[in-house]
Amino acid sequence: MLTALILACWAYACIWDILGPVFFLGFRPLIAGFGAGIIVGDVQTGMLIGGTLELMALGVYTYGGATIPDFTVGAILGTFFGKTEGFEVGIALAIPAALLLTQVDILNRFLNFIFVHQADAYAEEGNVKGFERMMRIFSHMIWGLSRAIPVFLAVQFGESAVKSVSTFFENNRWFNDGISVTGGILPALGFAMLLKILPVEKYPAFLLLGFILFAYLGVPLVGIALAALATGLVYQQLKYRGQEA
Amino acid sequence: MEAAGTKLSRSDLVRTFWRFIFFNQLGWNYERMQSVGYCYAMLPILQKTHPDPEDFKEAFITNLNFFNTNPVVGFPLILGAHAALEEAGASLETTEGLKVGLMGPLAGVGDTLVWALYNSIILSIGSVMALDGNIMGPILALLLVFFPYLGVRYWQFFWAYNQGTGLIAQLGSGAIMRVTELATIVGLIVIGGFAPSIVRMNTALEWSRDVEVRGEMTTQVINVQSQLDAILPFMLPVLVTWMAYALLKRGWSPIRVIAVLLVVGFVGGALGIFG
Repeated sequence: MLTALILACWAYACIWDILGPVFFLGFRPLIAGFGAGIIVGDVQTGMLIGGTLELMALGVYTYGGATIPDFTVGAILGTFFGKTEGFEVGIALAIPAALLLTQVDILNRFLNFIFVHQADAYAEEGNVKGFERMMRIFSHMIWGLSRAIPVFLAVQFGESAVKSVSTFFENNRWFNDGISVTGGILPALGFAMLLKILPVEKYPAFLLLGFILFAYLGVPLVGIALAALATGLVYQQLKYRGQEA
Repeated sequence: MEAAGTKLSRSDLVRTFWRFIFFNQLGWNYERMQSVGYCYAMLPILQKTHPDPEDFKEAFITNLNFFNTNPVVGFPLILGAHAALEEAGASLETTEGLKVGLMGPLAGVGDTLVWALYNSIILSIGSVMALDGNIMGPILALLLVFFPYLGVRYWQFFWAYNQGTGLIAQLGSGAIMRVTELATIVGLIVIGGFAPSIVRMNTALEWSRDVEVRGEMTTQVINVQSQLDAILPFMLPVLVTWMAYALLKRGWSPIRVIAVLLVVGFVGGALGIFG
């Protein structure tokens, strides 16, 4: 019961963070899973689940308010169930949970229209105090509860359902194989979304350069990022030579 | 009617800045998106620059108009510029023009720079460390979020305020274009390298055939993966990423693309084609 409550609060905090302060980027699965790992007392599982989901969701953001799978809640639930039932079960539950909660996100963003209409009414009266009270106390509630309640319910009442899922897993290795391959290829979506917002046709050579650095030269990730920065700076220095800096 | 201008104090600006930090996207909705968060952050300044109650009411209502931009790069800049215009006694038409004119372009720049590039780089490095069981992975990501995010928002807000009405000229001088270009190049190289390292897809397929070697029959096993590697390393990850990209380009939603990847991965894995 206590764990369910604390995890629900963590889900609330994670979604609140991205809507306001962005102090810890809690809605990203790596962070959400890490925090959940600390709460359930199994940081390793939190990092495994969070890290795996993070790579799947890399570059997947709500651009302009688009709806994406809720990997935040996925990471929290995956960590909780992964602690007792193992990593595979955790991941296998996290992905459908994330997809299911997509619908909740749409409902939540729709219901929030209450605030803007209430705000109009306060503005007509010039009621600053009322508007401020609404913002401070209520404006995060639909967001927060739409994440906290599913987490609480799943953790509190999901145990037996998850146990049967886990038994099914043990008896069906092929299911495990399917999940593990899926985990490997889902990150393709994030990279595809990133490519879509970048002018690939204009600069294909840079994409190729990154590929060569990794695939043929075996440069580690941090090295690729630094090489990318250096290449960009040199390119601009040459391109804008003669113009004021 | 607008007054000739009201000097804002440092504490007015700081108050608006912290309101922005804690409330910018709360109440986000499909109808007017970030409008209530923007209005809430701006209210202390509006109250000061519109002392007449009727005049203030009009400003309050107007600042609840549709607003949406990137909350990290963009939002604080517009807020700072708006504060400077309020201080100069600008009309509501002018300030709304500023908001509407800047929010679109800055959303594009901000989403690319912050969400797509910066976050993807720090979070993929953090995740790879986390998967090795290294607790510094998530901690590093946390540190690289907290300080730079706070710093860049603080700097933008006060820089835009100090630039005041000269801001538009500054933005038009090509500075934004150049930063976006740099980010694009860094992004493409990083994706080119990170995609094959993070997307995992191998085939377990083999076929065997009987061949005659010097008069003796032997069974030769051909491993498809090593054949593919000989043509191009990481060929399957590259192909699957390209397929997802092509589908998105055709206007497919990310959710539909996930569905395709789930089916390909799950069926392929369960049947032992991939592994």
